[in-house]
Amino acid sequence: MRKFFIIVIPIVTLLLFVLIMSSGNILKRPLGEDDDIPKSIDNIIEAVENEAWSEAASKLQDLDKLWDKVIKRVQFGSERDEINKLSTSIARLKGAVKAEDKAGALMELYEAYNHWDELGN
Amino acid sequence: MNEGLVVVVRAIISFFSLLIFARILGKEQISQLTFFDYILGITIGSIASEATVDLSSRVWPHFVGLVSWALLAYLMQYISLKWRYAAKVIEGEPVVVIMNGKIMDKVLKKMKFRISDILELLRNQGIFDLNEVDYAILEPNGSLSVLKKPEYLPLTPKDMNIEVKPTGISTELIYDGRLIEENLRQMNKDKKWLMNQLKKHGIKDVSEAFLVTLNDAGSLYVDKYNDNIKKVKDIGDYKGPY
Repeated sequence: MRKFFIIVIPIVTLLLFVLIMSSGNILKRPLGEDDDIPKSIDNIIEAVENEAWSEAASKLQDLDKLWDKVIKRVQFGSERDEINKLSTSIARLKGAVKAEDKAGALMELYEAYNHWDELGN
Repeated sequence: MNEGLVVVVRAIISFFSLLIFARILGKEQISQLTFFDYILGITIGSIASEATVDLSSRVWPHFVGLVSWALLAYLMQYISLKWRYAAKVIEGEPVVVIMNGKIMDKVLKKMKFRISDILELLRNQGIFDLNEVDYAILEPNGSLSVLKKPEYLPLTPKDMNIEVKPTGISTELIYDGRLIEENLRQMNKDKKWLMNQLKKHGIKDVSEAFLVTLNDAGSLYVDKYNDNIKKVKDIGDYKGPY
């Protein structure tokens, strides 16, 4: 029995570590109905393309809150650089939406999309 | 992102992965390490430390690096265990550097050892005169094994035809004020016998003893918590903070 534990405990520990390390890619997927980042970005893209700036601003606020929530669960399996770059993209997007700059806003949105794809990969 | 918390989680992952891999790779003591084992240890340790604090990349690639190095080290160990020729190539072999009292200078040159290095290793073994050395062998781990000339070997009871009793190894009966009954049984003694012995040393209770050992020859070593030494000898050459 003792030998069994000596073999099993390290294996289980290593498997748990692998799970934590690869959690970034798994946990970034939506777990509920209101934590889908790509969907949120898509909604803002749609609003910006229609130049519905007040709608875009309110959806952006939602995205900002959502991103703060998702960071907490993806931080252990992701690289800090991608997390920071996505946060920067959202900050710049706020400026573009406030200035009602369609080209700038779309650039930031697609960049944010790319950072999201790279996160945890 | 809570960087402190992420570093703590990564440290736990690296620490225990390293511990598991180190145990799988074997329990060699530092003094038995060859030069390559030493470098291997540094590299694996450095990968683990980077996995902990390098937040710019995920911990996964570092972990894969760690596993790869550990696997390669294990593979090398396995090959050298199964294949003697490979072991000689990978780990090196013992080399005779002093033979019949003569220094093998060509061998030293090949091993990239200076004579001063050999003299240092000899001094470490308490040999200050080369005339005393018959054979000296440089081991793969860098230590020097020395065989002295017969006339310089220490005198043993056998040389003098003196009969001696085997002492055996000491077994702990009391450790830090606690009785180890398992060891007592192993030595075929009981608590009553031990208490009688302890009484001779002025000990009434087991908790008064710091360490008590018994060897196969029946010799008892007793150390009390209360040593009755008023002034402890200070061997330091300068005044320290305490």
